[in-house]
Amino acid sequence: MFASFNRRDMLIQSGLGFGSLALAGLLTEQRLLGAAQSTLVTDLMPRYGHRPAKAKAIIQLFQNGGPSQMDLFDEKPELTRRNGEAHPGEVETFQLGNRNILLKSPFRFQPHGECGMNLGETIPGIASIADDICLIRSMHTENNNHPFAINMLQSGKTFAGHPAMGSWVCYALGSENHNLPGYVVLRDPAGYNTSGKMVWSSGWLPSLYQGTEFSSGGVPVHHLSRPDSVSEQARSRSLQLLADLNRRHKKQYPGNSELDARIQNFELTARMQMEATDVLNVSQESKAIRADYGLDNPTTAAYGLRCLMARRLVENGVRFVQVFPPLKPSFQPWDNHNNLEEGLREICAQVDGPSSALIKDLKQRGLLDDVIVQWTGEFGRLPITENANGRDHNRHAFSLFLAGGGFRPGHQIGATDEFGYAAVEDRISVPDLHATLLHQLGIDHTQLSYVHRGRAERLTDPEVTHARVVEEIVI
Amino acid sequence: MRLTQLLLLSCALLLLVFVNVRTGWNMGAWFSANPLSASTAFNRVASTGSVTGLLKILGLTGFVQDSNHRPSPTFEDDVLPILADHCIACHGSEIQEGMLDLRTVTSILQGGENGHGIVRGDPRSSLLLDMIVRKQMPPAELGSLTDEQVSIIRRWILAGIPAQEAIVELPPRTMISAEDRNFWAFQKPVRAPLPLVHHEQRVRTPIDRFVLGHLEAVRCTFAPDADRATLLRRAHLDLVGIPPSPEELNDFLTDEQPNAWERVLDRLLESPHYGERWGRHWMDAVGYVDNRLFDGDLRTIYPNEGIWRFRDYIVDSLNNDKPYNQFLTEQLAGDQMVSWQNAQNLTPEMREKLIATGFFRSIEDATSEPQYGIAKRYDVLFDTMTMLGSSVMGLTMECCRCHNHKFDPLFQRDYYRLMAILEPALNPHDWKKPQDRWLADVSPKRRRQIDKYNALVQQQIDELTRQRKAAESVGQSVLQGLASQIEKLEMSKQGYGKIQALWDVGETPQSRILRRGQVEAAGVIVQPGFPEILARDIQAVTASKSTANDSTGLRLALAQWLTDREHPLTARVIVNRVWQHHFGQGIVATPGNFGRTGSPPTHPQLLDWLAIDFVEHGWSLKRLHKLIMTSTTYRQSSSVVVEPDVDQRHETWLLAAMPLRRMQSEIIRDSILAVSGRLDLTPGGPPIMITNPVDGLSREEQNPEPTSHLRRSLYLFARRVYPLKFMEIFDSPIMPINCTQRMTSTSVLQSFTQLNDSFMLDNAAATAGRVRAQAGENVTEQVRSAFRIILSRNPHRKEVQRCAEFLESQDKLYSDSGRQSLTDLCHMLLCTNEFLYIN
Repeated sequence: MFASFNRRDMLIQSGLGFGSLALAGLLTEQRLLGAAQSTLVTDLMPRYGHRPAKAKAIIQLFQNGGPSQMDLFDEKPELTRRNGEAHPGEVETFQLGNRNILLKSPFRFQPHGECGMNLGETIPGIASIADDICLIRSMHTENNNHPFAINMLQSGKTFAGHPAMGSWVCYALGSENHNLPGYVVLRDPAGYNTSGKMVWSSGWLPSLYQGTEFSSGGVPVHHLSRPDSVSEQARSRSLQLLADLNRRHKKQYPGNSELDARIQNFELTARMQMEATDVLNVSQESKAIRADYGLDNPTTAAYGLRCLMARRLVENGVRFVQVFPPLKPSFQPWDNHNNLEEGLREICAQVDGPSSALIKDLKQRGLLDDVIVQWTGEFGRLPITENANGRDHNRHAFSLFLAGGGFRPGHQIGATDEFGYAAVEDRISVPDLHATLLHQLGIDHTQLSYVHRGRAERLTDPEVTHARVVEEIVI
Repeated sequence: MRLTQLLLLSCALLLLVFVNVRTGWNMGAWFSANPLSASTAFNRVASTGSVTGLLKILGLTGFVQDSNHRPSPTFEDDVLPILADHCIACHGSEIQEGMLDLRTVTSILQGGENGHGIVRGDPRSSLLLDMIVRKQMPPAELGSLTDEQVSIIRRWILAGIPAQEAIVELPPRTMISAEDRNFWAFQKPVRAPLPLVHHEQRVRTPIDRFVLGHLEAVRCTFAPDADRATLLRRAHLDLVGIPPSPEELNDFLTDEQPNAWERVLDRLLESPHYGERWGRHWMDAVGYVDNRLFDGDLRTIYPNEGIWRFRDYIVDSLNNDKPYNQFLTEQLAGDQMVSWQNAQNLTPEMREKLIATGFFRSIEDATSEPQYGIAKRYDVLFDTMTMLGSSVMGLTMECCRCHNHKFDPLFQRDYYRLMAILEPALNPHDWKKPQDRWLADVSPKRRRQIDKYNALVQQQIDELTRQRKAAESVGQSVLQGLASQIEKLEMSKQGYGKIQALWDVGETPQSRILRRGQVEAAGVIVQPGFPEILARDIQAVTASKSTANDSTGLRLALAQWLTDREHPLTARVIVNRVWQHHFGQGIVATPGNFGRTGSPPTHPQLLDWLAIDFVEHGWSLKRLHKLIMTSTTYRQSSSVVVEPDVDQRHETWLLAAMPLRRMQSEIIRDSILAVSGRLDLTPGGPPIMITNPVDGLSREEQNPEPTSHLRRSLYLFARRVYPLKFMEIFDSPIMPINCTQRMTSTSVLQSFTQLNDSFMLDNAAATAGRVRAQAGENVTEQVRSAFRIILSRNPHRKEVQRCAEFLESQDKLYSDSGRQSLTDLCHMLLCTNEFLYIN
C-alpha cells in the first residue's frame, strides 16, 4: 500500500520523473501502477521538486469573466484611429449581439515605472507596481466560452473533471504546514464564481489535494468550531475517549495508515481550530496594513480581506492560495458584454488596490522572493462592438501579469495585432504558462505525472500541447 | 432509353430542382464542400440522403449511367489510368499509405485502414470517391482531379465496377496483430479446471479454490473466519447499506440451526433495500444525476424532470433480479424493443422499456443554450461514448475519438462506427434539445389527444380571461363568476408525466470519422459497427429493422451483440464490478479499463470462471452475490497480523484477509440515520430537494413530508457538481460523466464534520434516546446497548469499563442526569473508525 508513494517521493527526489518511469514501466510494472491507482494512501508531507525551486508558493488572483486586454494592459492606437470602421478580417464571436464595428477603448493609457509599462487609467494601483510585475500581452487559449476556458486555465484541459493546478502542485510538493491544508480557496462569501468549486477540484487526483474553502466571511471553515453546547473540557474528554477507542481498533490493523491518518486528523482538529483561527485573524494586522489592503473602504474591504488572508496563509506555509474576485457586478465580474466603461470601472475599483497592496506587502516582507502572484482571467475580449458598448469573448488574445518567485520584474513580453484581436508576437499558450509556473516551483512539467485510466496524465500534456518553459520571463 | 424512363427521370430532376428552390440548397455544393464546415451543412447531408432515396424509389439508380448514351467506364480502360497518374505513387506497390493499394479492383474493394474503398453501385458510400470529391485526396499540392475524371469514377462505381479482372471479395484490411488478438480481455473467457489446494478444509465454494491456490503459491492461506457479529454487519452494509439492528444481531448470534448464514443472505437479498444499495452502484456507473445541463452555479438547480423514474427502474430491476443481459438490453434499446409509437395505450411493459433508456439521459448537454452549435451536440455523443465504454465494455474508448488507441487495438474507425449506432437517436443532424428529449408517460396518440383537449380548454380560458379584463369595470360578482369558471377549466386540463428517454429521431444520419475528434474536420464515411477486435471483422451492423417498431434497431443490435454468451467483456466487466463492491477492489482493479493500460486481473481464472458461471445461470446478480458471500474468501476476518516475511500486498491482492473498506458517503449518512432510529425508509418517487445556501452548506429539505429530510441518500436530489455537503465531504463524486470507481479521501474536513456538524449532533442525541429507552439508567447497560446499536456488536469488558468511566466523569460536567454524557458517548462511537469502516 505504501510502496507506491514512497516510490514516488523517492523518484521525484532522485530527479527521475514518475511520468517517464510510469510510461517506460508500463510493460513491467503494471501491477504496481494498477494497484497504486486503486488503493492510494496520500499525504501532504513536504517534498522537493526535480530541481532547485525559485518559489515555494503561489497566490492566484483569479479574475474570471475575461478582463479586457485593450482597455487595461494593451493599448491599441490603431483601434482608436479606426473606431467605427469594420474589422478587416474574420472575427470569431461567441454571443449573438456582435456587430463588426471596431470599438476604441474609452480609457487613457500612459507609461508607468522605470520600465515604462503602458497601462490603462482604471488600474492605478497595479500601475504603481509596474516595476515589480512581469506583464504578458500575448496569451491565447483554446475556447471562447467561460466554463471551458476556465477549465483550460486552471486544469490545462477544456473538458471538466481534470485536476486544478493547485492540486497538481500539492500532489508534487505537499504542504509546509501540518496544521493547515496545502491548497486553500478564498471566494466571495456571497457565492461561487463561474463553475463553482469545479475550479479547485482535484479531478482524478486523490481528493486530499483538492482546494479547501476557507470562508472570508463568517466562519473560515465549515464546522471548524465546536458547538456552544459543548464545553472545551467536555470535548477534550470526548476526544480522549475517541482516541482510546480508535487506538484499540487500530491494533487489529497494524499496517493501515489510513486509520492512523484519521486518528491524527482528530488531533489536528484542535490545533487547526486554533491555527486557522489565528492565521485568519486579520485583526492582528496593523492599522496601516489594513488600510493598505482597503479594509476600511467598503468598496475594497471584501476583496482586500481575501488578499490579506492569502498573504497570511502563504506566510504560514500554505502552498497554493486561490483568491476569487467579487460577485459584483456579476459572478463573472470581468464579463463586459455591454456598458464596458461603467462595468470595468466598477470591478477595477474593487480589485486594483488590494491586488497591488498584496504585492507591495509581500515585497516589503521579503516574501516576494518565494511567492508567485498570478493575476489572470480565462480569456480576453474582442475589439469589435457588442450591444453597442460592450465586447464579446476572445480566446485569441489576453493579458495577464505575474510577480515574484523569479519572474522578471518590470518586464513586458508579447504583442497582439493592430486591433488586439490575436496574439502575434511571442505567443504564450496556457500550457506554456503552466510549464513556467511549475518550473519556478522546481518541478519539471514533463515529469510530473499521475496514471489515470492507464495514461500517464500531466498538467501540460506536452506531447499534445508542445508546452515549453518561457525562459524569457524568468530570471 | 425507353420513353417512360425518360419521363421518370425528368420528374426526378424537376423534384430535385423543386427541393432546391424551396430550401435554398445549392446543388453544386453537395459534393464539393466539407459537409460539416458551413452552418447549413446538415441540411445538405440530409438532402443528399433523401434525394438518393427518391431516386431509389423511382427505380432510377440502375440506368443513370446510361443517360448520356455513354458506355459504362471500365476499370482497365478508364479508371486505372486516372489512378495511375494521381494516386498509385502513394497507394501502389512500393508505398501503401493508409494500407491502401489502388492497383486492382480487388485491392480497392478490400480497402485500407478506413475500411472498404468502394461499395458496388453506391458512389455515395464509396470512400474512394468521397475522398476525391471532398478534395481530401490527392493532397492539395499534387493537384486535384478534373470534373470529368471524377465523373468517370462515379459512373464506374454506379455501373457496378465493371472490370476484366476476376474480382475477389476480401475482408477489409486489419490493423490488428496476432498479439492483439491474444490479449486476455479480447479472448472469450475459458473455464479452467478447479485448482487443487492443500487447505481443503477451508474450501466452501469454487471461488475459494482459485483464491487459495494463489495464496498457497506464496505460502499463505486464508485468515480465520470472521466472528458472527462482524459478518452480519458486513453483509448488511454490503447488501442493503444499513447496519443490522440489535434484534437482528441477537437472532443471528443465537441461531444454532444449520445454514444460519445462508438464511441471513437470503433475507437480505429479498429485502427491498438491496435494490437501493446496489442501484446506487449502477447509478455511479451510468453517471446518474437529477439535473440536466452543467451544474456550474451553486444557486441554480435545473431539474431533469422525471429522470427519477429511471432511478426507480434500476432499484426495481435489481430487486426483481432481472437478468443482467435483459437489464442492459432494456437500457440500451428499450425503445427499440416495443412498438410504442403507434400504441393506443402505453402498456406497463412499454413504459418500463422507455424509462430504461434513461441510461443515456444523465449526460451533460449544453445545447439548450442558443449560442451553442454543432460541436456541443457532438460533445454529448462523445461523453455518451465514454460512459458506455467505461461502464459496460470496460474500454477506454474515448482515446479513439482523436486518434487510434495508443495501447489497445482500438481504432478511430471503431470509435466512429460504434458512435454511428447512437447517432440515429442522438442525431446531430436532427437534434433534440435536452429539454425536448422526453416522452409522455402516455402513448403518443393519447398525448396528442390530451394536448389537443388542453389547447381547446386553454382557448376557452383565454377567451374568459379577455372577458374578465373587459369586465373589470363592471361588477365584482361578474368577475368572481369568470374567475371560478377559469379555475374550473384549469382544473379540467389533463396531464401526463415525463419520461427522460432516448429514441431514434429523424432520418438516419450518415456518420463520418471526425479527424482529430474535431467536428469541422469530418473525414470518411463510416457504417455502424462494433470494434473490430471484439467483433472479429468490421462488417456493418445488420440490424433487423423491426417492422413493428419504427426504428433503426441499431442499439438493439448493439445490446444483442454485447449480451452474446461469447462476448469477451460484458460478463467479465459486470462480475468484476460486483466483486469490486464486495471486496473494495475488483479482480481487475480498473473496472472501466480492461485494456493493456488497465490493471491485469489478479485472479484471471477466477474472473473467467465467475463470468462463465454467471452467464450459464441466467445472468442472475443475486445468485452471484450469494456465491461470493458464502465463500471462505468473503467470510475471512479483516484483521490479520501479517507475518513479517509475507509481503503486505498479499493482503490486498491475494485476499489473505478481508480488506477493510471505508463506507461510501451515502452509507455513512444512511447508517447514522438508521442507528439513531430516524431513517425514513419510504421508497422511490421524485427526489428530495436539497437547499443551496450561499455558504455551500446544503441540507435536505423537509418537503413534501416532515420526515423527507431523513430519507435514504439515493433519494436526495443528485446534483452533478454539488451533492449534499455532508456527502460531498465524504467523497460523493462529482459527475462530469460517470464514476467507475470512488475515491476515498481522508481529510481533516471530515473530522470537523464528524465532530461539529449538527447532523451528527442531532443523531447522536436521538441515538442516546434510543439507548436509554433500551437500557434504562444503568450505565453498564447503556454502554452495552450503545455498542450493539451503533457498532453492531457486544463490547469487550475493557471497553465497557472505559466507557462507563467516561459517562460518569462526563456527567459531572453537565449534571443533567447523564443525558448529555450519553449523547457524547454515542457521538464518539459514531465518530470511531470502527463505525466508518466495514470490517
